[in-house]
Amino acid sequence: MESTKPVRTPEELEKLRQKIESERGNKKPTVSICISTGCVALGATSVLEAFKTGIKKAKLEEKVEIKETGCLGFCEQGPRVTVYPDEICYFKVKPDDVHEIISQTIKENKIVERLLYTDPITRKKVRRLNEIPFYKDQLRPLLENNARIDPKNILDYIHLDGYKALTKAISQMTPQQIIEEIKKSKLRGRGGGGFPTGIKWETTRNAPEETKYVIVNCDEGDPGAFMDRSLMEGTPHSVLEGLIIGAYAIGAKEGYVYVREEYPLATENITTAIEQAKQYGFLGENILGSGFNFNVRVHKGAGAFVSGESSALMTAIEGKIGEPRPKYVHTAVKGLWNKPTCLNNVKTWANVPLIIIKGAEWFKNIGTEGSSGTAIFSLVGKIKNTGLVEVPMGITLRDLIYKIGGGIKDDKKFKAVQTGGPSGGFIPEEYLDLQVDFDEIDKVGSMMGSGGLVVMDEDTCMVDSARYFVDFLLDESCGKCIPCREGLRVLSKNLGNICEGKGEHEDIVVVEDIALTMENASLCALGTTAANPVLTSLKYFREEWDQHIKDKRCIAKSCKSLTDYYIDPKECQACLICLRECPTKAIEGEKDQVHWINQEKCEKCGICYEVCKFDAVKKLSGEPIPSKPAKGMKPIRKGVKQ
Amino acid sequence: MVKLSCHHCDYSWNYQGKTKYYATCPNCRYKVRIQPEETPKPELKRRDLEPRKILSKEKKAKKLIGIAAIVSRVIEKHQHDKSMLIQILLQLQNDFGWLPREMLTEVSKQLEIPLNRVYQISTFYKAFSLAPRGRHLIRVCMGTSCKVRGATTILDKLQSTLEIEKDQTTPDGRFSLETVNCAGCCALGPVITIDGEYHGNLKVMDTEKILAKYK
Amino acid sequence: MKTLTLKIDGKEIEAEEDMTILEAAEKLSIQIPTLCHHKNLEPYGACRICSVEIETRGKSRIVAACCYPVKNDLNVTTRSPKIDKIRKTILELAAVSAGEDAMGEMRKLASEYNADLSHLRSKTPIEPTKCILCGLCVRRCIEATWDSVIGFIGRGTKRQITLYPEKASICTICDYCHDVCPTGKITSTGPDPPFPQIDDILAGRE
Repeated sequence: MESTKPVRTPEELEKLRQKIESERGNKKPTVSICISTGCVALGATSVLEAFKTGIKKAKLEEKVEIKETGCLGFCEQGPRVTVYPDEICYFKVKPDDVHEIISQTIKENKIVERLLYTDPITRKKVRRLNEIPFYKDQLRPLLENNARIDPKNILDYIHLDGYKALTKAISQMTPQQIIEEIKKSKLRGRGGGGFPTGIKWETTRNAPEETKYVIVNCDEGDPGAFMDRSLMEGTPHSVLEGLIIGAYAIGAKEGYVYVREEYPLATENITTAIEQAKQYGFLGENILGSGFNFNVRVHKGAGAFVSGESSALMTAIEGKIGEPRPKYVHTAVKGLWNKPTCLNNVKTWANVPLIIIKGAEWFKNIGTEGSSGTAIFSLVGKIKNTGLVEVPMGITLRDLIYKIGGGIKDDKKFKAVQTGGPSGGFIPEEYLDLQVDFDEIDKVGSMMGSGGLVVMDEDTCMVDSARYFVDFLLDESCGKCIPCREGLRVLSKNLGNICEGKGEHEDIVVVEDIALTMENASLCALGTTAANPVLTSLKYFREEWDQHIKDKRCIAKSCKSLTDYYIDPKECQACLICLRECPTKAIEGEKDQVHWINQEKCEKCGICYEVCKFDAVKKLSGEPIPSKPAKGMKPIRKGVKQ
Repeated sequence: MVKLSCHHCDYSWNYQGKTKYYATCPNCRYKVRIQPEETPKPELKRRDLEPRKILSKEKKAKKLIGIAAIVSRVIEKHQHDKSMLIQILLQLQNDFGWLPREMLTEVSKQLEIPLNRVYQISTFYKAFSLAPRGRHLIRVCMGTSCKVRGATTILDKLQSTLEIEKDQTTPDGRFSLETVNCAGCCALGPVITIDGEYHGNLKVMDTEKILAKYK
Repeated sequence: MKTLTLKIDGKEIEAEEDMTILEAAEKLSIQIPTLCHHKNLEPYGACRICSVEIETRGKSRIVAACCYPVKNDLNVTTRSPKIDKIRKTILELAAVSAGEDAMGEMRKLASEYNADLSHLRSKTPIEPTKCILCGLCVRRCIEATWDSVIGFIGRGTKRQITLYPEKASICTICDYCHDVCPTGKITSTGPDPPFPQIDDILAGRE
């Protein structure tokens, strides 16, 4: 850390920025390696160690800088290494490739072609990041700096115009002007509710109490969503800056950051960011000489999805169990310790500095009439290019899935896309040309939620997926109110029966009755939206439900009790692999003899289907299993010319 | 001497003990209430208990040993703030691996929070474990994306290899198996974490190799 | 204290600012059913059977009358086919874990709303506990003793009431938990079946 003298005036901040620019302006080569949780899971730590050892061996420590940075979103192609100043992006880097990168790219400025991204259609290597099809249609004001910033070093953030928005807000604008600017930009809450942020700030500011609080909600419990994690791990300072601007506008002196326990790296990075911001005078007393005092504390979650609901989160910060409270009086008026509290999602706070610097008009011009700005989606599931994408609101689902996502994995058929987590619903193929924004998705019965998009193909059973969400909510419900707790229990048993082939027609009538009660009488949003996945699945995929009940058949061949596994004697090569892997020893066969599954012992776990290299294991549902082949039948060897 | 009848197992006996309100049934060990002849309804008092012996700071420093000392240090670090109960329990869980009952009673005594609230919080959240865990904690992510990409098969394979069900520990204390509802690595499903180390894009055949690295 | 005017079932009433719809309805002698409410305790909002339909500024929604504060120009309906159906389903749902032979207030409401307490239980057979987790006994115990003898543990469907044997000595037989139980689980000789003890639950014996 170069200077830890707190910055007291906007002029001092500008001087500091110029000092950093002059020190770094000599275009020293920098190697930026993504050490976000995603790339670490694919082995990025060994790549980092290999670089450190390699640079030391080549005696280039003074000349080359190694930076540990955040996530650029293309998780499918991780680990990712970018070499500056020419911004060459290498993907799927292994520790053995590091030596070549150092000798070719760093020493001699040559590109290692085989580590560049290959366009799957043109089969050509792509040199620049924004020519890669995954990135071409994206607009990334929030995520683009993730590759240049070391989240544990505040000077990187200041170098890229960090804290400029805070300076402008505190020295040139009044709190009312800031709130007007946010209202003009039509920023809507990115946590799922889509409530206009400017109005929430205004209500909190106008509430008749001296003490006010602001909270960052980083409890991303939605399965399939990891946008908040990437933002918190990559650029925690942007969230912090937005929070300080918000606190100044609302008049709050204390803020909280609630991070879930499953994100240890995000907790570490935001704690470091807060300490460094304090050292540099952006937090604490008399911020930038304005007389405004503000302090932030980090609160860790402890593994409860329901605590992500705003009133439950406040109850958890107060030290009680994270149960939701009835929200008949808005938390903006009576929230944490009954004082006015403004709670917003990580992405909402991160958008605030951009709006202050670039203006509300710039923000409004991106996106649609009802929803302005960009949205970060996590594109996951059965899709070729999984990862995080940041796109302007209004893009169609088809572009998201086929242009950016690259289409369905293994080129199978698209079935549905699930949005909004457990509160959202399934969107079928007929709505693929839907423009994604808050209101359009509401119209088809789902909701945008936090931004998780799970793509499902023909091998996904829609009844089983609805059951998955009900079971998830059953595990995570707080259990206080009767409709949610008992309603989910009955729904789970009902759906379980249908998936096991014991369903009856009146089960669907019961499901619809319970859904009506839960929607109207539950205490919190978890209960009222719990039936959404089931209802949308019933609405758009009714034939699958009828087939499960009447024909005892699962066309996706996914429900265990309705699927049988069968080895095709014409394909089997008698390699013994499935025999060894089977946990119940249900497969009979020998080295030169076609294998056969004993249906009485088979537990339908699917391991044989996964491990067979010759696609000999077939799944059947609702069809009779062919009879056993003759004993000692020899396999038909492939690739042998007769 | 009082004649008592257990409403749980219908056993009757003559109680000769000295306790005033509850006696233990000799047959099934349940607590049976002793009805005295005429008891006036007591007035509703806020804290109808004996005054608690609160140790002075010097005495605390000298007398506390074992679990009491450990808890006291963590509570000092959080400035005796009652609203930081969850953070205190998280720290104790991280340091110890689990929360024994004595520790919960100590936290209740030192922070002066009712015991039932401490238990309510430690059983509400999944991060806390009130039973000892194995040396290595395996967490299988069961989020939507991981499930769609085959997390159930991975869970089945782990259960059959380790011969335990989920939420159990192997008899030799080596592994504990748990599920987590989304670890945040959705693009690389299926994902498992062992001792905080993430393993993404997992295939069924690789699980045994990975488990062998952890002794 | 400001006075507000609202309509309940077509009748106008003046109420103070900090009253709830339930209290305002009592002034008009309109009975809204409750299972988890007690006049001496804070409103809890767990049973949801006091759900009523409110209409304000053209929008209507269903809220819990015990928690919703009165507002000006509110239009409240306490009985309608939709509300009756919701209350009937809530009673049937409560019977799934409580069992068909619940007594007390719950039995009374079941006959008033024609709820078939065994309808949903038939497909979801679990051991009946006679408890709907309304929390009245726990809240009364906390009020009487601070260091309560019984308490909630667990989450979701694993939520239950447990007895802390180390605190049982402070149970002064005040009978406050017996007075308020809406299903008749707590009788004058104690809960039947008894609340499981904390040791048994943690060891997995319950």
